[in-house]
Amino acid sequence: MTTQAADAASSTKIVARDVSVFYGAKKAIDAVSIDIDQDHVTAFIGPSGCGKSTFLRSFNRMNDTIPNARVEGSITLDGKDIYSSDMDVVQLRARVGMVFQKPNPFPKSIFENVAYGPRIHGLASGRAELEEVVEKSLRRAGLWEEVKDRLNESGTALSGGQQQRLCIARAIAVDPEVILMDEPASALDPIATARIEELIHELRGRYAIVIVTHNMQQAARVSQRTAFFHLGHLVEYGDTRAIFTNPKQERTKDYITGRYG
Amino acid sequence: MSELNASLVPQLPIVGVDAHEPVARKPTDWRTGSMQGRIRRRYAAERRFRLIGAGAVVLAAAFLAFLLVTMFANGLRGFTRTEVALDIDFPRSTLIVDQTAVQRFGEQGLAGADLQGVVAAAANARLGPGGAALLSDGAWVEVRRAILEDPAILSGVHRFELPAAAAIDVAAKGDGAADAEVQVARLRERGLLSTGFNGQFLTGADATDPTAVGIWGAFKGSLLTMLVTLALAFPIGVLSAVYLEEYAPRNRWTDIIEVSINNLAAVPSIIFGLLGLAIFLNVMNLPRSAPIVGGLTLALMTMPVIVIAGRNAIKAVPPSIRDAALGVGASPVQVVFHHVLPLALPGILTGTIIGMARALGETAPLLMIGMRAFISSPPEGLTQPATVLPVQIFLWSDEVSRGFVEKTSAAIIVLLVFLLAMNGIAIYLRNRFEKRW
Repeated sequence: MTTQAADAASSTKIVARDVSVFYGAKKAIDAVSIDIDQDHVTAFIGPSGCGKSTFLRSFNRMNDTIPNARVEGSITLDGKDIYSSDMDVVQLRARVGMVFQKPNPFPKSIFENVAYGPRIHGLASGRAELEEVVEKSLRRAGLWEEVKDRLNESGTALSGGQQQRLCIARAIAVDPEVILMDEPASALDPIATARIEELIHELRGRYAIVIVTHNMQQAARVSQRTAFFHLGHLVEYGDTRAIFTNPKQERTKDYITGRYG
Repeated sequence: MSELNASLVPQLPIVGVDAHEPVARKPTDWRTGSMQGRIRRRYAAERRFRLIGAGAVVLAAAFLAFLLVTMFANGLRGFTRTEVALDIDFPRSTLIVDQTAVQRFGEQGLAGADLQGVVAAAANARLGPGGAALLSDGAWVEVRRAILEDPAILSGVHRFELPAAAAIDVAAKGDGAADAEVQVARLRERGLLSTGFNGQFLTGADATDPTAVGIWGAFKGSLLTMLVTLALAFPIGVLSAVYLEEYAPRNRWTDIIEVSINNLAAVPSIIFGLLGLAIFLNVMNLPRSAPIVGGLTLALMTMPVIVIAGRNAIKAVPPSIRDAALGVGASPVQVVFHHVLPLALPGILTGTIIGMARALGETAPLLMIGMRAFISSPPEGLTQPATVLPVQIFLWSDEVSRGFVEKTSAAIIVLLVFLLAMNGIAIYLRNRFEKRW
């Protein structure tokens, strides 16, 4: 059932082979193999409960925090197995950043939210450099102009869309190679959603981006690669345009045309 | 692909079922008598509940007011003392003390001076036969202190305001025996009686004479004991809570530990006293009646409360914060100390206040480890014999002499002030931490 991305023009960042994820005895993801490109935005689509978020969370080992969760198969980042014993989880999560479904800024100032990652990883020496990193990250997240005069205010006082962009700024402040986004716009209004999608366009190329969404229009708008998951299986994976205009699998076609989901 | 389609069928949306149903629904009439009755009953229930709630609050406030009023009416008298004016003519007394020697050598210059005899003689002379009995047993100590402060008074007649004997003190405050009342009336006529602030009560320790007792010894004992309790119970309790909540695997062992801690919080306090007696005194041979042993025993009692409150506070920190911190690459320890603990701290402090307040008011376990001894000087350190405020209250309430009644109430006021101060500091800290976030 698995289909690899056809064109191999761009470099591959993450390679997953026969990955299965279990919650106790329940199999949430069943032998999925996929290649994630460096230069493209990859979207995971599928009905609720199909395991796309679970699969995404295995890319930076966030599933480790769930008791009873178990990952089988291999996932490599730049050719290195991220589940091998000599892979440092903390470093992995700094290299593979994550933006969550619900905006979750720390209950600290806007500045502290962005500065936290660089600070714990020692990425900035001195206050001046830290301020520089914070400004650069907020600019890239498209939030700088809105918050530059109130960096000391609490991050939780921002609107939902601003909070989510703050979370993106926080993720890119540690200069990751990959950014995982787990339904980043599902809790936002259409205007805030549009801003996030714009932002994803701007960030493409600098970071490998994987986005989980159950909004098919969103997947069509922001991604170049789309993977369709159903009941823990990867049904179809390929160019976004191909998936949406000419799906090879019956199930993909049914989902995209809205027969279920 | 047929088996695939079959699996999809139940998920297809079912449309238009309602449309085929006959319209059998009659519009609800909201104005019928039964409907109106239902609304009235709802409002009545609302009112009833609010009245009961208000009544409960009023009742509780009335009890508290009654307690405070009686306590202060009785206790404030404990902070005052009745004083008898007494002139002592030092040059004509039997005192053979050289003024310059006192000036030069201080206390040593007074060595061997029979001040007690001089004061008694002066009292008998000025206040009539039996005059010495009108003064407190410790009256001469005040004379001695006055001489040390200003040896010049030895050269002439000096008027002292000396504490009255317990019976006179009680009578002067309007609650004495008949013969003491007569004495008080006589002294009042001559204008010798006055009321002064009882400084001795705030600076001294336990004594057999109610006019000479002080609360400072017990206060200091409580302070030292609480310091030991806090220093042990807070870090151990918080770290246990963090470990159990954030690190410990869920298995049978942690379940047993959890049940044990919950049960420990409900164990009667006297059992902890027995435990302290058996372990700290008999096995570890720590000193009896010492604040360190009291603190250790109370720490055992307080720790489960802090662990339970701490675990609940840590549980209440939203998991999204943990995800966020892990997501930018924080290690588990960094997640706990940078994010979880600061957010949980207000809740942990609330638990600590409850635990410490309970420990401060605890008597039973301290009786078991010997803190009910008669200690007449304030403790100098953690290993010296001491008593604590609630035990002191218990001991004074048991005394026969009437003079102790008001002292007991005064000690209760001191205990309440201590408690309020402790809670005030904790609430201040809690609010500061809440503001930071």
